[in-house]
Amino acid sequence: MTVVVNSRDDFTLENYRRVAIGGESVAIGPEARTTMAEGRANFLRLLESDRTQFIYGVTSSFGPRARLTIPPGEQRAHARAFGFRRGNWARGFGGGYLDERVVRGVVFARLANFVAGNSKARPVVAERIAAMLDGPLPPVPLDGEVGAGEVLPMAHVMHGLRRGGLEEGEANPLMNGSPVSAALAADTALQACHRLDHAEQIFALSVEAFGAPLDAYDDELDDLWGDEDEASALAALRRYLAGASPGGRPSAAVPASYQVLGRVLGQAHRAVTGVEDAARVSLRSVTDNPVYVPPDDGHPLGRAFSTGGFHNAMTYPALNALAAAWADLTLLAQRHVTALCAVAASAPPARAPRFAAGAATGLEPVLAALVEDARAAAMPTLLPAAVNDPQDDVSSPVFSAYRRQAWAAECFDGAQAVLAAGASQALLHAGRQPAPPLQDLLAAIRAIFPPLEASPPDPGARGGELAAALARWAVTGSGPFGTSR
Amino acid sequence: MTVVVNTGDDFTLANFLRVSYGGEPVRIGAVARRSMTAGAGHEPTVDSPGRETIRRARWAAPGADFGGGYLDAAVVRGILFARLASLVSGHAGVRPSVAERVAAALDGPMPRVPLDGQAGTGEALPLAQVLAGVQRDGLREGEVEALLGGAPCSAALTADAAIRARHRLQHAEGVCALSIEAFRAPLSAYDEALDDLWGDRHETAALRGLRRYLEGAGTAERRFHQAPVSYRIIPRVLGQVHRAVAAVEKAATVSLRSVTSDVVYVGDELGRPAGRAVRSGGYHNGMAYPALNALSAAWADLALVAERQVTALNTAETSGLPVNLVAPGAPGNGTYAYGWAASGYVEEARAAATPALLPGAVEDLHADVLSPAFGAYRRERRAAECLDGVLAILAIVSSQALFVTGRDPARPLLPLLSFVRSVFPPIDGTGERDLSADGGRLQQALGAAALSGQLAAQPRSARRRSGGRRTAAF
Repeated sequence: MTVVVNSRDDFTLENYRRVAIGGESVAIGPEARTTMAEGRANFLRLLESDRTQFIYGVTSSFGPRARLTIPPGEQRAHARAFGFRRGNWARGFGGGYLDERVVRGVVFARLANFVAGNSKARPVVAERIAAMLDGPLPPVPLDGEVGAGEVLPMAHVMHGLRRGGLEEGEANPLMNGSPVSAALAADTALQACHRLDHAEQIFALSVEAFGAPLDAYDDELDDLWGDEDEASALAALRRYLAGASPGGRPSAAVPASYQVLGRVLGQAHRAVTGVEDAARVSLRSVTDNPVYVPPDDGHPLGRAFSTGGFHNAMTYPALNALAAAWADLTLLAQRHVTALCAVAASAPPARAPRFAAGAATGLEPVLAALVEDARAAAMPTLLPAAVNDPQDDVSSPVFSAYRRQAWAAECFDGAQAVLAAGASQALLHAGRQPAPPLQDLLAAIRAIFPPLEASPPDPGARGGELAAALARWAVTGSGPFGTSR
Repeated sequence: MTVVVNTGDDFTLANFLRVSYGGEPVRIGAVARRSMTAGAGHEPTVDSPGRETIRRARWAAPGADFGGGYLDAAVVRGILFARLASLVSGHAGVRPSVAERVAAALDGPMPRVPLDGQAGTGEALPLAQVLAGVQRDGLREGEVEALLGGAPCSAALTADAAIRARHRLQHAEGVCALSIEAFRAPLSAYDEALDDLWGDRHETAALRGLRRYLEGAGTAERRFHQAPVSYRIIPRVLGQVHRAVAAVEKAATVSLRSVTSDVVYVGDELGRPAGRAVRSGGYHNGMAYPALNALSAAWADLALVAERQVTALNTAETSGLPVNLVAPGAPGNGTYAYGWAASGYVEEARAAATPALLPGAVEDLHADVLSPAFGAYRRERRAAECLDGVLAILAIVSSQALFVTGRDPARPLLPLLSFVRSVFPPIDGTGERDLSADGGRLQQALGAAALSGQLAAQPRSARRRSGGRRTAAF
């Protein structure tokens, strides 16, 4: 299949998923080609009306040398040289590489500036960008990508672009703007949605394993608390606990970590929604600098002017908030595991196990490190303290925010794996089955991490396998856990 | 005036402000009395987890918490107000007389609530202090738990932050616009075409805020090429602040009216002994502290961008303005050293932006998740204070840049400039001045304005002879 883009409205999360994860090609639609051709013609009329007017990167030099003007006769050569110089500006190295699916996403997000004619470029330039998606994409190092705007990572992303014949105003829209932030937000949003759903299933399994009272998830609380995200979390828990037996759940001994589950998961819902909103807005934003605005009544030739669009200020805070939400859930998972072990230790097993493990799986010791690492990852990325030069005096922290969120999520996947295995073990110890909606989940967990009674697995390796499966399913949204969001 | 509360709809930010800072009393309305009468009289139908015993002990002898200064009395009033939301709903199972006792506590002096040591499971620890003045004789089974349970502290702390944040943001937009004028930055970076091109409502609000201040700004003397990044991205950074402020306002609005009692009585049977009791984790507010964290980070980032603008204005090679903005013929280093001072505030703000997460400590096996609301609230206050410091410096430097070049800003900024200069006159090289004290006064004035919404000049001692307070509304 091919995703056809005709307007900014085509830059949706679903189309992002098709291109970035699904590997689909992109075609520039006829409406977009017409709009871009008109935009290009209008821009050239504006440029020809006065080639001494300031248009960043077209009649001027770049970055800290922006005040230097380019003589009219040299402006085309300036544009053609730009492509190569910028292409060679890729400087970051180390720290591993961005997953290729995300690089595909950046290329897709890059096109949003073009299709509405704001890029000043001819349709052929957009078509060259789209064609990049049909071949291998260059590696983009994760370290050293913090600068003003996103020129540094874009220099890597655009490394393979055919640049021959670029004309005035066509070089900057390749590198400027903030498509990297858009793609990083979208990539995170798609995973976060699945990760949260899996978390709700595993926490519900923990509720069953502990025998926690169900009234902490009562539907009356939706209205009494009056928050839509907490209502979503409560609804999800109720969905997975449908049909659970209400008996044998004494409230006297229930830890706070079970009672507050709906409210902590509500905050995770809020954080996921925040990243989704950032992704949706960013994907369709026109963030080019300079931006071309088509003619209107007051400006018959249109306008080309400098903006701060290259600085995406909504993505990194949204990623920060999500990292903090994962960190808090990681702590909550650790508390659940402790509670499961404690309650199992105080109750006789339902049947004699070969190993007197109670709810312990051997994985518990890793939780302390996972919690601490998740909390470290939740330290927010703020605007970088470093200054490149007096002109480029504020940088974008989005790469750091993306990596920290990914680290926090990885820690949370690990904690979820430990909790899932612990809940499975506790259910075996108590001789209970969970509510019907959770039985497939339990089977999937036990397929990877069998209960200790059945076999003496290498708990570390199997726990790692379970965590890896959770991470993989967060990307694909598939797997035996399924999704309900 | 008196605030009459009948239902959750009465627990608004506006009523919170009237009660907390306005000092108005609260009366329990007839509708609320009927709801409470119908809902009262339940005996707990769930097993006691022992928490009530602990809470009773804490209330009987509060004071395990200490240090770190004290919560403002106005915020303590706000907590008492927020406490009533659960009670008047009728879901907490208390008699009207219990709510009236809480309301009556607002007529007396507020107890002191220490800021340190308030991270427990739920909010019973600070509530034991807040409710110290509430009559407790004759309270029935469950009523103590209803008073000490729930999450009214989070609601009040968030509401307090929300009230200040909206005004602080408005004033920050004004100071940034003044800086744009002082630097003579091109206005295209704030063009209305960007509203649609960026497509984000918060960034649109920021762009509109800046354009409102810059209306009528001259275009003739502006630099022909683009301004430094810190000037071009300011609408996007302010947009993020708008987003954070909106999130805190939403958290406050939701939290103030939430029924968060640990045990709520619900169902069609409400009002009968058979009414269903639901024990939940309502006492843990999961939305307030992340919203406060995000606001702290937004203040810290705005402080950094403001500091970069201070540097740009102070640097002649960048701004084209006189070196260090020294007035012609005047001695000294002008506003140069303020740039250094701004760096200190930025670093403090960044430290305060470290998020308050769920505390790592555990009280016991049952009290295994604690509330970080107090920590988040204190960090936000500190980040905001540091931002006020940087904004004061940016206002000083902007005022000085306009002074040394003999320019006026756009007309909508004249009241702001007048306010700034009433507190901090331009450095003209004449006479001895305590520039540290003058700067501090401007920071304090901005802090006070965050609460009042009015930029009220703090008369300098040297000026007391000639005038009183001057205000500028924005």
